[in-house]
Amino acid sequence: MPAMIEYIQKDSFFHGLHPITKILWTFGVLIMSFLFSTPLPIFVILLSNILIAVAAGIIKQVFPAIKALFLFSLLLIAFQIFFVTEGKTLFYAIPFTNIGKVTDIGLSLSLVMSFRMVATVSTIPILMMTTPMTDMVVVLVEKLKIPFKFAFMFITALRFIPTLLGEVEQIMQAQMSRGYNSDTKNPFKKIIIIIPLAIPLLVSSIKKTEKMAISMEARGFASGPRSYYRKIMMKKADYAALFVLIAAIFLTAIV
Amino acid sequence: MISIKGLSFIYNDTKEPALNNINIDINEGEFVGIAGPTGAGKSTLTLCLNGVIPHFLHGDFYGEVKVDGKDTVDNGCAKIAYSVGSVFQDPEAQIVSTRVEDEIAFGLENLNIPRIEIAERIKESLEMTGISELRDYSTSQLSGGQKQRVAIASAIALRPKILVLDEPTSELDPKGSLDIFDTLQRLNREYNITIVVVEQKIQLLSEYCSRLVIMEKGNILLDGETRSVLADQETLQRIGVSAPPVTRLAYMLKKEGLYQGGFPINVEEAYLMVSKVLSEKSR
Amino acid sequence: MIRINNLSYRYKNGNNVLKNLNISIKSGEFAAIIGQNGAGKTTLLKNLNGLLKPTNGHVLICGLDTSKTKTSVLARKIGFLFQNPDHQIFCSTVFDEIAFGLKNTGISPNEIESMVYNAAKKVGLESYLKHDPFSLSKGQRQRVALASVLAMETDILVLDEPTTGQDYSEGLEIMEIVKELNKHGKTIVMVTHDMELVAQYAKRVIVLMKGTVIEDGTTEEVLSKEKSLAQSNLKPPQAYLLAKKFQKQGFFKNTYTVEDMFEEIISYLGGEQNACND
Repeated sequence: MPAMIEYIQKDSFFHGLHPITKILWTFGVLIMSFLFSTPLPIFVILLSNILIAVAAGIIKQVFPAIKALFLFSLLLIAFQIFFVTEGKTLFYAIPFTNIGKVTDIGLSLSLVMSFRMVATVSTIPILMMTTPMTDMVVVLVEKLKIPFKFAFMFITALRFIPTLLGEVEQIMQAQMSRGYNSDTKNPFKKIIIIIPLAIPLLVSSIKKTEKMAISMEARGFASGPRSYYRKIMMKKADYAALFVLIAAIFLTAIV
Repeated sequence: MISIKGLSFIYNDTKEPALNNINIDINEGEFVGIAGPTGAGKSTLTLCLNGVIPHFLHGDFYGEVKVDGKDTVDNGCAKIAYSVGSVFQDPEAQIVSTRVEDEIAFGLENLNIPRIEIAERIKESLEMTGISELRDYSTSQLSGGQKQRVAIASAIALRPKILVLDEPTSELDPKGSLDIFDTLQRLNREYNITIVVVEQKIQLLSEYCSRLVIMEKGNILLDGETRSVLADQETLQRIGVSAPPVTRLAYMLKKEGLYQGGFPINVEEAYLMVSKVLSEKSR
Repeated sequence: MIRINNLSYRYKNGNNVLKNLNISIKSGEFAAIIGQNGAGKTTLLKNLNGLLKPTNGHVLICGLDTSKTKTSVLARKIGFLFQNPDHQIFCSTVFDEIAFGLKNTGISPNEIESMVYNAAKKVGLESYLKHDPFSLSKGQRQRVALASVLAMETDILVLDEPTTGQDYSEGLEIMEIVKELNKHGKTIVMVTHDMELVAQYAKRVIVLMKGTVIEDGTTEEVLSKEKSLAQSNLKPPQAYLLAKKFQKQGFFKNTYTVEDMFEEIISYLGGEQNACND
């Protein structure tokens, strides 16, 4: 979970692609997932995401995210599957009763939904792990014309997630060393139990924010027009990848 | 290079002045250490040098602060950043980028410096701070000491004549601390950058700084050559500032009337002192 | 009191390994664990109260096996003072903050009240009990954190870098309180890289390097092992280095602080001096 958004430095083909290409890829996956309405092709798209992650050398880090998404999707399936009653009945969830009818259409629709979700959402950690923050900012500002301050805010917030998670761990350990006990099944108690973690975290975040602001101010942040060091060019590889992507979408639409 | 006249500052929503009629002049090429107990106003002073006070942190500001000929009230932080580079205590709260190169470029980008020049300056800063090998690293891979050196490199990328540091070694181990001060010494000796560094570690300050300023409750109590400041053990002990152990020993011996010479700040000098004192027995 | 047998620890990503440590700390000792960053000091500390469970071997705290006991239970035997009090403080009064750990233990409110008061007294904050901890200075907040550990009345107190980030007098205050506690029998384990602190307060020193113990003995013994210290990027304290220069002449054989050296000089010169020499 923690480093789901952190850039992982590797020298892969995917890493070398222009951020715009990768962003377009996430949209492409989204479009294609919705163009197909049977489970198998969407599953293939999902597999292609996993293959890309493997090729980029980040499968180990992406895997927990994909696992989590799958687990969540099982929940979705469980909710949906019993509400669809058309089609041929395959079996009953509780055998020898009429409860929990699972039909072939129901199964198909639920699988489509869950695979769609996993396929489209899994592109995001893959995108974030193969694209350095600064490049994202440059792209957001130069190509998408988002004002620098907003792009920076967004990216910095993401950049601090691992830092804050580290703080949470330290706070957790400090409180546990004082006899703080976090096992409780009571949901109301669970809310109260968060307070000894939440308050120090809040205080610490606010302090860090102030320190960062001072540091940035002293480095001339937002004092006027801004230049950009990184120049990210579209390369042949990008055009090739985009071509493949567009062709795939086209074929999908026809099929 | 730095000229402060009658500087007083009260933070908004506070009654006590953080700084009380500060007057100090620092010449180009000096290596000045600032020490003092908590609440002395040391950090506030550094923030007045880089313009964060009064432009970003507000309050009642009196007096005049001039750095490199620029008045800090008339010039915004960005203009002052060309003259004063700043490094703060917490490396995590300074580093903005995920790559070292981008971190150093950050300040330069903010000031709209052309791309080609940025590339040159990144190379230059890394060389000046002796961390060229870290260029392609990701910032999360670095140790605390390395992070601080990247922060120093980022600050000097703007080629400021002055470098102001607020407890840069606070979170570092002895080796990390030494690395920082060696870097500062190099910047001072080879590139004539004026260094103003706030620290709790008096031993470190006494080894590297030629001039020591001691503050308490918003005032400057002592300001002068390191040795003579350390000699005033009475004041230092009263306000709760530590001193190198050998200097403490000298003070104890002086109080007993056993020694009249200069104050040692390292072991070699202390050896001479103690030898002399012990040899008095034969008198 | 603390028995570490063949302790090895490996993080999930393979880092920071502790290799087969065997350490035994007796009741009432004042031990310092030193070593450079990355040597495994913090990992070792976290193995002491169950925050980390050993990959191999075991750690016994007052007879309790840390891998079989919950951290919240171990917190009654071994108390921790961390570097940053702001990682713990969350209550609206100093009293509540100090009482926090006790509330989970089923002790009666009356008794809690007296325990909190005693703990506050030990750190000199008994008149601040109704104050908001966030309104206190950093040094005072560190003392609140210390009081909240002391209220648990543990036999062992572990300090993680007690003087880092503090100013000199604040750090001194904390150390003097700790020294007093040790005098009254509390076992103290301190992690630090401040050699002057070690010389001033610790009676036993354990040097960790790359996850193994390279030195373990009395302060006197370990301070003389300059090679081991150098390998860990640690320098012996100034007083020790100075004393060493005189050892051939027979002076300062057991002195590790300048205060001790001063006493020895005074007695050597025979107390004939109390006026100025001109």
